Amino acid sequence: MSAVDLTPDDVRDVLRVLDSSGLAELHLELADLTLTVRREGAAGWTAEQQVTRAPHVEQAAAAAVAVEAPAPVAEVGEGLVAVHPPLLGTFYRAPQPGAPPFVDVGDQVDTETVVGIVETMKMMTPVHAGVRGTVVEFRLGNGEFAAADAVLLVVEPVGGGAGG
Amino acid sequence: MGRVASTGRRIHRLLIANRGEIAARVIRTCGRLGIESVLAASDADLESLPARLADRVVRLGPADAARSYLDPAAVVRAARAVEADAVHPGYGFLSENPSLARACAAAGIVFIGPTPESLEAVGDKLTARSHAVAAGLPVVPGGEAADLAGAQAVAAEVGYPLLVKAVGGGGGRGMKLVAGPGDLARTLDLAVSEAAAAFGDPRVYLERFVSSGRHVELQILGDGSRAVALGDRDCSVQRRYQKLFEEAPAPLLSDALRAEMTAAALALAGHLRYRGLGTVELLVDRARGTFYFLEMNARIQVEHPVTEMVTGLDLVAEQIAVAEGLPLRIRQEDVVLTGHAVECRINAEDWTTGFRPSPGRIDRVVLPVGEGLRVDTHVQGGSDVPPHYDSLLAKLIVHGTDRDDAVARARAALDLLRIEGVATTVPVHQALLADPEFAAGGVDTTFFERFLDQQLVGAR
Amino acid sequence: MADVGLVDVSLRDGNQSLWGATGLRTAHIAQVAPLMERVGFRALDYSSSTAMGVAVRTHREDPWERLRLTRAAMPTTKLQFIGTGFRFISWQNSHPETMQLVYDRLVVNGIDRVVVLDPMHDMDAARETARRLKQAGVDEVIGALTFTISVVHDDAFYADLAGQFAADPNFDRVYVKDPAGILSAERARTLLPAIVARLQGTPLELHSHATIGLSPMTYSIAPELGVEVVQVGSGALGNGSSLPEARRTVANLRAMGHRVDIDDRALGMVCDFFDGLAVAEELPVGRPQDFDAAFLHHQIAGGVMTTTRRQLSEIGMEHRFDALVEEVGVVRAEMGHPIMVTPFPQMVVSQALFNVIGERYANVPDQVIRYVLGSFGRPTAPIDPTVKDRILDRPRARELASEPPPPPPAELRKRFRRGISDEELLLRAHMPEDQVDAMLAAAPAPRHFNPSLAPVLTLLHELGSRTSVHDLAVTTPGLRMSVRRASGGTSVG
Repeated sequence: MSAVDLTPDDVRDVLRVLDSSGLAELHLELADLTLTVRREGAAGWTAEQQVTRAPHVEQAAAAAVAVEAPAPVAEVGEGLVAVHPPLLGTFYRAPQPGAPPFVDVGDQVDTETVVGIVETMKMMTPVHAGVRGTVVEFRLGNGEFAAADAVLLVVEPVGGGAGG
Repeated sequence: MGRVASTGRRIHRLLIANRGEIAARVIRTCGRLGIESVLAASDADLESLPARLADRVVRLGPADAARSYLDPAAVVRAARAVEADAVHPGYGFLSENPSLARACAAAGIVFIGPTPESLEAVGDKLTARSHAVAAGLPVVPGGEAADLAGAQAVAAEVGYPLLVKAVGGGGGRGMKLVAGPGDLARTLDLAVSEAAAAFGDPRVYLERFVSSGRHVELQILGDGSRAVALGDRDCSVQRRYQKLFEEAPAPLLSDALRAEMTAAALALAGHLRYRGLGTVELLVDRARGTFYFLEMNARIQVEHPVTEMVTGLDLVAEQIAVAEGLPLRIRQEDVVLTGHAVECRINAEDWTTGFRPSPGRIDRVVLPVGEGLRVDTHVQGGSDVPPHYDSLLAKLIVHGTDRDDAVARARAALDLLRIEGVATTVPVHQALLADPEFAAGGVDTTFFERFLDQQLVGAR
Repeated sequence: MADVGLVDVSLRDGNQSLWGATGLRTAHIAQVAPLMERVGFRALDYSSSTAMGVAVRTHREDPWERLRLTRAAMPTTKLQFIGTGFRFISWQNSHPETMQLVYDRLVVNGIDRVVVLDPMHDMDAARETARRLKQAGVDEVIGALTFTISVVHDDAFYADLAGQFAADPNFDRVYVKDPAGILSAERARTLLPAIVARLQGTPLELHSHATIGLSPMTYSIAPELGVEVVQVGSGALGNGSSLPEARRTVANLRAMGHRVDIDDRALGMVCDFFDGLAVAEELPVGRPQDFDAAFLHHQIAGGVMTTTRRQLSEIGMEHRFDALVEEVGVVRAEMGHPIMVTPFPQMVVSQALFNVIGERYANVPDQVIRYVLGSFGRPTAPIDPTVKDRILDRPRARELASEPPPPPPAELRKRFRRGISDEELLLRAHMPEDQVDAMLAAAPAPRHFNPSLAPVLTLLHELGSRTSVHDLAVTTPGLRMSVRRASGGTSVG
């Protein structure tokens, strides 16, 4: 039972006490509700109730579209390779605050080159480039949150051609 | 009387796919029963009082009802998004829509209401008539009018004046009066095209116009095998087929007539193997002591509180129990009616200008409280009354030891009731309850228009 | 990995253990019943003679009406009555046909599960009671194995009784009842499998009080030992001298890898309700208890010991308290090791007190005489013959022995006004007339209770009683209230 909303029985309980005590008016403020009960002379009693609790609103799922799924938009330009985080977390470009970043745009990287760190619940995981080539672009900045499928940076592989 | 087994599924989370006072009403019973309430609200209702009362709120769609409250796919989507066990459709909107009932069933969600078959059986007014006839109920003389020749044939039997009614209509909508044979062809064409537009079904049928009748309805509760009758209500006070005032029990009916009507309603419920709450509407010819079947409403009704006040039952709880597959535990002999209850529907309308709707913001709501008083409302100070939906603000329900007592208490209660910020129909009810013809009881469906004419000297 | 069911004892054993059986009223029960129904408890430990007597005597409420209301609100949960089979409300035994009438009316009004509780395990009597319960139409009859620690009550003792329950077709289930909460997990590891081995598939439940903090652990291992249902108290009515708390028990069972199929949200609402009720009515809240090694020995409830110590100090004999505790053990053995569940702790302690103050068995209360005469059933082990002779060799014993047998219903009906219902007859036959009259004359019990509002109403009463003050305001955490007095009867609004 909560005090978000008082039933007619509840209000009658209040009335009974007011009446038997010779009280003519009550103003009550609880966490989620305010109530004013007043005797209107011989005519009877009135109540003004205000439920003040804020609604707890959520979104329904978006409408399912009955068409075939559109072709996925390429993450990166043709011939380029996207580097994803090993797991989701906060992306850092340098080993610690104030230190120079692991790599910058224009740097050469190899498959094992560490290009950043992802911090997940206090655990640090290095991000490796995974490909030989040149860093072309950073998509996430220092300290930004990276979802599991986020693109952290873009690399132009050595020898060009289709990336993975 | 021991434990019973449920043949269905326990409901733990209920999506309320409706708004206004009925949403608040269902939410209150959910709270009492420990069922989690999730209100499916359109954008216009996200900050309403029901939204504040519900345990959770899920957005149903834009304010436009066609894309929210009237969209079965949106309702089912909302129910799935919150993993609701069941959907309560309220009244109006999709409450009698077999598509919603079927979509829920397909999604494994319980629909709080009758089976799709029952909804179809009584939703189509012609089929409902034939079921009533099969169950032995008298119907108003009439028949289907597939074309002008067919209509003329029925009219020859039934006589004038007559009503042209939409097969897919109901709830007082889709009816046209034809005074004489000269008006039949034109009215028929009009009725057919309006029916197609309003209900998506162009079919119409003709019925003798019973000029003086009382609208008495029987509340039925069934579990698919058994049904009980929970008393009757009189809803004769109507303006343009919309009810303003209801009471239980219907006054000034002989015991014999009441018993016959009860038996008729039970016969129809039995014939349909009806499950859920339903109301059998009858037109009572007081002078002749006879009655005709009008229609059956397969949903909870606006005026259900007067039945609750005289029976002590929680009809929403009974609906939920039946939807869970619990067998009916009320026996007919357990149904005991105590006293008399009346209900005044307070609408946001300005009665001095033809009951023009008065949407806007409510500044203040002050309600009468005390023994035998109940107000079902969805507004409080600061509430918005949106223009997109109906104008019902509140229902004042009053119980007394007898009709005179109930009416006297209702008059006193109306004097204390204040909803400020919009125009309301409180003054109409004050005048109504003071009217001597009304006070005598047993008025018919023509009463209110005559009463209004007297009140408003000049144009309506 | 097992499916474990829950039986909730809040309304009966919880109320009795923590709130003197008087805390709950019809309004509380009517309000919480729909919430409890939604949880999915297998059953509620709902009522007993004591509970029905308290309703009439203390609250002037009709216990039959309360049962009907509850059943109406709880269509799918079993409602349990617990009794010895010999008595209804009063201390004296009732005629067997009267007990049959009690069972018949309990069933008609909504009871569908009954525990046959005989702490002395007189199996002949238990079988007869079960037969009568089935005759009345009781859905589920439960045989109780009342646990205690003594030389007599070993695993084999209980296993044999379990086998007897299983062999009788009128018993549907069996539960281990541990009123003192002294069944340790260690003992359970041998006791429960020994019982299950003889049950031949009859389901086993466990009911162990949390008095010295042992039962939460015992519950955690119980399912792997064959227990299908554990009994719990919800929120404020769990822990303390009641049963383990429901939500904690569910969490523990799930942590142990078992499935508990209940509506957790509804259970939370039930617990919140009892918590709010305890605050509103200023009733004590059950709390997890410390282990008390001394309690394992004497098994007398703390309250009884406190009272007894006070009684000794009132006569200047407080220094004899240790002797008293020892005498309790001796008397218990002489009485044939009755299990320390009401009324036996009080009975044994009273006799021990008399024995310490004066000559042993010079003074013997009626209750002890009746016990020795067999009114409470056949003791588990024989009563010491010398003590028995000593007790029965007195005029009062001869008086009690020659008391006429209790009258059957037909006889009872002649004593009261014609045409009263069986329910009223049963109350009138076992309770003082003025108490039943007062209950019937009282207004019908309210059926709603809002724990959040109760403190507001109390505060309002308080403010209202200050008749000389015109305007008053109060602010407490979470609440602001102001009132205005009517000035000499004129309107204020």
